[in-house]
This record gives sequence, structure tokens and C-alpha cells, in this order.
Amino acid sequence: MNSIEGSDVKKVVVACDAGMGSSVLLTTQLKGTLSRYGVTVEHSPVDRIPQDADVVLCQTGLADRARKRVPDTVVVGFQMFLGDPAFARLEQAIRDGGTLAG
Amino acid sequence: MSTTQGGALTATRSAIQRFGGFLAGMVMPNIGAFIAWGLVTALFIPDGWLPNEYLAQLVDPMIKYLLPLLIAYTGGTLVYEQRGGVVGAAAAMGVIVSADIPMFLGAMVMGPLAAFLMKHFDRLVQPRIKSGFEMLVNNFSAGILAALAAILGAYAVGPVVGRIAEALGTGVQFLIDHSLLPLVSVIVEPAKVLFLNNAINHGVFTPLGTMRALADGRAIEFLIETNPGPGLGILLACMFFGPKVSRATAPGAIVIHFFGGIHEIYFPYILAQPKLILAAIGGGMSGVATFMVLDAGLISAASPGSIIALMAVTPPGGHLPVLAGVTVATLVSFAIASALLGFGRAERKAEKAAAEADTTADTTADK
Repeated sequence: MNSIEGSDVKKVVVACDAGMGSSVLLTTQLKGTLSRYGVTVEHSPVDRIPQDADVVLCQTGLADRARKRVPDTVVVGFQMFLGDPAFARLEQAIRDGGTLAG
Repeated sequence: MSTTQGGALTATRSAIQRFGGFLAGMVMPNIGAFIAWGLVTALFIPDGWLPNEYLAQLVDPMIKYLLPLLIAYTGGTLVYEQRGGVVGAAAAMGVIVSADIPMFLGAMVMGPLAAFLMKHFDRLVQPRIKSGFEMLVNNFSAGILAALAAILGAYAVGPVVGRIAEALGTGVQFLIDHSLLPLVSVIVEPAKVLFLNNAINHGVFTPLGTMRALADGRAIEFLIETNPGPGLGILLACMFFGPKVSRATAPGAIVIHFFGGIHEIYFPYILAQPKLILAAIGGGMSGVATFMVLDAGLISAASPGSIIALMAVTPPGGHLPVLAGVTVATLVSFAIASALLGFGRAERKAEKAAAEADTTADTTADK
């Protein structure tokens, strides 16, 4: 289990299987909420997640692959692509401070 | 015990996902070129919208050389950066000339294989190169290895992969001839939901369908995984009869799924209520059956699986059969999913029970 302080998060990577579909959709949405805190949001294929990511977001069905790729990074899994509480938790941790684990 | 089994299951799933993801990773970045080929073909072949003999010359070289080379280059790049890509593409020429069919499968083998050999050769030799000779050695090692791999591909890999591709094509034809093709949905729909959608579509159906499309002008293979109907039916059922959370998010998901073509968006609705997979299978089967009976097909791979992408690569005169299959799949999937959700009855009951439980909990807490 890794953890990171919300205030230390500078780069969020959204991962999906190909890095071209659902992750791009979520990146567009998260950029809107997170860029104002100076956090960059990128998308990537789950097997090619960049090593300098601070937090990785991906569907729980792909979380194992993400953890194998970046074992020392916080991987936050979510269930739904729309309206999952994980996105609100991430934003809250970045905005108000707080520890993210995963 | 059960946790070990669960762990093994997850590991297997991840391994299959990774392998499939690698196959899809060779194809998906090149979808733009596939679409270009599909559009050129739909427009300029003798049966096309604007028949043009001169421009129709684009069709054959694009499918036989451009697309396999792009796949091999991308596959090589995945293994060993640009150097791997270059060697992979050159090596793929061997399998390409070895057969009359578009050698997608061969390119998927030779691209990464040649890059892998290059990577290990470099690891062995580069530390021993005398200073000043790096460029000479690097250029000629890549050139010689690529030439050897191309020769190997032409004589050994090409015929074997060609035989395999033919056998797979015959297998699909057998399923069509015996009206068994809808059974494929029993495997495809659950596999999709486990995030194997790209692996199945681009790892299996794109290479198979391309062979048929070149021969017959259209291929049903392109419609099996990309049909947005089953997912649409499930999302509609969730919108009307699903749990409260689903009802709120389903409308947005429908637009993204059906028009944006991102099928992943409906997978969680099934993962949350696994019984809904029956609706996906039923919808998929009835859709494939409709496509088969009406002889529907697409010219090239539709990606993403949006209704717009499907319509864009449908050959002239083929739109009604495709739309019919999508509609039937939607209706069947919606009907089954609605029934499985008890037309919202169970959900209303659960909400009521939850509300009551809340009150009871409150009263207990008060005591």
C-alpha cells in the first residue's frame, strides 16, 4: 500500500487498456477540476504508465496491471466512469489536503 | 484457499489482458490509416460512391503494404523504441510478400520478434564496440538483422502464419455456413466486460475481417465486437429501472457509448450487477444473427464502436442491414436487462427497505 499527501500531487495519470478511449474522456473531465490546483492530468495505456506519475487512476479491473507497472505509486481504482466517488475523493485530497492511499 | 484461487484468477486475467493489450497496442495507434483505407475503398472502388479507376489504385497497396508495415513498425516500437520499429517493419516485408492475403497476423509476429532480437543483439554487442565505430556497427547490425528476418519471414514464418490465418478464416466461414456465428457472442460479450474488448476486436477480428473485406468488399467480423446495441440496451434499462446511482449517470453514459463509441463506459454497470451479462449476450447474439441473415458487413474496422463510425465504413447500400442488427441487439438487450432488473420493482423495494432500515437504525441509535 502506497500513500501520498494530496498537496504533493503534481501529476495525475489516468490509465486504460489502450490509453486512447476512456482514459482520454476522464482526462478531459479531470483537467477541468484539477488544473486550477496546478496539477497536470495525462492519459496513458496501463502498461506504459510514466514512472513520474504521482497518482494513477484506473478502473478496478485494470488496477492489477497498473500496480505491476508502477509498484511504488498510489493507484486509485474506481468502478464507474461517470460520477464515481473516487474522483471526488481525489479532488478533495488535493484541494483540502489529506492522504491518498492505494 | 478461495483467496489463492481468486489471486490465480486475477493473475490469469491480467496476463490475458496484457497479451491482448499488446496485440491491440500494435493496431490501435494506426486506426487512422485503417479509416483512410476504408474511406478510399468505399469511395473509389467500382462498387463505391464515386468510382474512380485512378484513385482506386490506392486500395491494394494500402491494405497489403501500408497497414501491415504500420502494425509491424508500431509492434517493433513497443519492444525497442524506434530502432525496433524500423527493424520490425523491414522484417515484416518478408511475411508480406509470402502470401496474397493482407499479412496483419504475420506483421504482428515479425515486428515485435525482429525488435526483440535487435534489442538482445545490441545488449550483447554494443558494450564491445570499439569507440568511433558505433554508427557503422549499429547501422549494419540493424540492416543485416532486418534483412535476415525478412528472409526468415518469407520462407518460414509467412507460410505458417498464412496457413493459420486461412484456418481461422475457414473457421469463421464454417460458423457462418452453419448459422453458428451468434454463439461467438457467448464468449465475446463477457470477455469485453473484463476489458478484453480491444484485444478481441483489434487482436482477432480486425485481421480476420480485413481478409474477408478484401475478398468480398465487406466483413461481418468488424460488426461482432463493435455493435453498440447490447451496451445501449443495458444502459437504457439502467436508466429506467436501475439502482438510483445508475439512473442518474446512465443518460450521459448513453451518449458517450453510442455516439462516442467508448464501450468501456457500460462495463461497470454489468460488473456491479453480473446478471446483466445475460442481456449483453442475448443482445450480441441476436445482433450477430440479424447481421448474418441480412448479409451485413463493414469495409474496414470501425473504431471506436460508435454508430457514427459504423455508418462511415458501411459499403453503399449496406446501411439498413447494419442499422437493423444494431436495433435488434438494442431491443433484445434492453428487454432482457429490464426483466433482470425486475422493471425496477426490486429496486423500489430495496430503496424502501433501506429507508426503513435507516429509520430503524436511527431509532436504535437513539435508544
